[in-house]
Amino acid sequence: MTDQPVALVTGGASGIGAAVVEALTARGYTVGCLDLNPGPAENTWAVDVSDADAVARAVGQLQDRLGPVSAVVTSAGYYEMAPVSDISEDAWRRMLRVHLGGLVNVARATLPDLIATRGSLVAVASELAVGGGDEDAHYAAAKGAILGLVRSLAVEVADTGVRVNCVAPGPTDTPLLAPDSPWRAPEYLQTLPLRRLTAPSEVARCVEYLVCDATFSTGDVVNVNSGAVI
Amino acid sequence: MSTDLRGRVALVTGAARGMGAAHARRLAAAGATVAVNDREDSEALSALATEIGGMTAPGDVSDPKSCRALATHVAATTGRLDVLVANHAYMTMAPLLEHADDDWWKVVDTNLGGTFYLVQSVLPHMRRTGAGRIVVIASEWGVTGWPEATAYAAAKSGLISLVKTLGRELAREHIIVNAVAPGVIDTPQLQVDADAAGVGLDDIHRRYAEAIPLGRIGSADEVAVAVELLSDFDLEAVVGQVISCNGGSTRTRA
Repeated sequence: MTDQPVALVTGGASGIGAAVVEALTARGYTVGCLDLNPGPAENTWAVDVSDADAVARAVGQLQDRLGPVSAVVTSAGYYEMAPVSDISEDAWRRMLRVHLGGLVNVARATLPDLIATRGSLVAVASELAVGGGDEDAHYAAAKGAILGLVRSLAVEVADTGVRVNCVAPGPTDTPLLAPDSPWRAPEYLQTLPLRRLTAPSEVARCVEYLVCDATFSTGDVVNVNSGAVI
Repeated sequence: MSTDLRGRVALVTGAARGMGAAHARRLAAAGATVAVNDREDSEALSALATEIGGMTAPGDVSDPKSCRALATHVAATTGRLDVLVANHAYMTMAPLLEHADDDWWKVVDTNLGGTFYLVQSVLPHMRRTGAGRIVVIASEWGVTGWPEATAYAAAKSGLISLVKTLGRELAREHIIVNAVAPGVIDTPQLQVDADAAGVGLDDIHRRYAEAIPLGRIGSADEVAVAVELLSDFDLEAVVGQVISCNGGSTRTRA
């Protein structure tokens, strides 16, 4: 147990999630992570967030070890490209179960703590949820569904004082973007108003704002995307 | 918050009271030297400047000449101008056919025109240092519209489009432009609303709070936190966006 407030970050072992762990730690949180590939970090549980029972078990252990959770950030996810006719039933199902299901599973497991602590949840969506994508319909649909869930849950729990918000990152410089990804191509970067990828630390800065500072914001989306979707 | 504005200079318009004063205090607390503007010099404005270790920069921002003079004065006094927070506002309401033409245009010219001239005036100073932050205070009504607020809503919607366009236009120069859209905030304006409705201040707070998911109106500082975020020079990737501070009443539409 710790005297510090406790945050739970899914996908916290790499990319945006790891940057969020760093930012929340700097703001005084003790952070526990759920990640498919957790690595050696302490307070990290190896969990597939699409598995509701596994999430509930890991959250229970995290609560026992660290204390009640007052901040939740759902960052676990993956990206793949495929034309719509090539998206298999399995690929479609997996995409929705991890992104939308992962958010629902973690929200269900942590909501009692969030209510008790008047805490806050931030989901990581994507610019593709706002602007649509191209040859990634299952990803855009899953991330779009996150916006709908966040807007609804925000109002559903507003009278408990819990805030629920979203960040919608644009192309961010993380392992999720493969080295040969079209999002890394110089021709694409030239189309961005900022002319460069978004840094994980910039997404984490916005998450930190929503968790720690934005006490009058709920159901909102902060677009941090180098100007990709305005 | 983690924003470090030491060595930076900010100009906040409409800062004598309400939200502008809160923005000025936040930016000063983050280390910035803050020039506080209002239409006229006043004891309140001077007291604020003294409190936060800044300077006063009075002037009517609906006048382009005055905007240029303001920016020049601040930059000449402090050596630079890094952040503009365009917070000034003028609002009147009336059914469309009853809104006097002069006043309708005064609302647009002050809110939209004033910010346009301010941006023109601060740009050369930001270009000289190779970076800048422009934060425009729009309004929830600029996103949703509102009955009998055609001029104000049009001006605030115009500001949102101005911000989106300038975001695209200036980001490559590291001059980052965004908007904040406050909902109902506890400022002196609410007393005007209460008087107009013939009820007390507590009543008007309660009425507004009923329509807000979080069940209360906001404080000026709860808007200032968003201004601070968008003034952070370690954050560039939020470009041409609208950050809402409204207790959940719009749920994202911008």
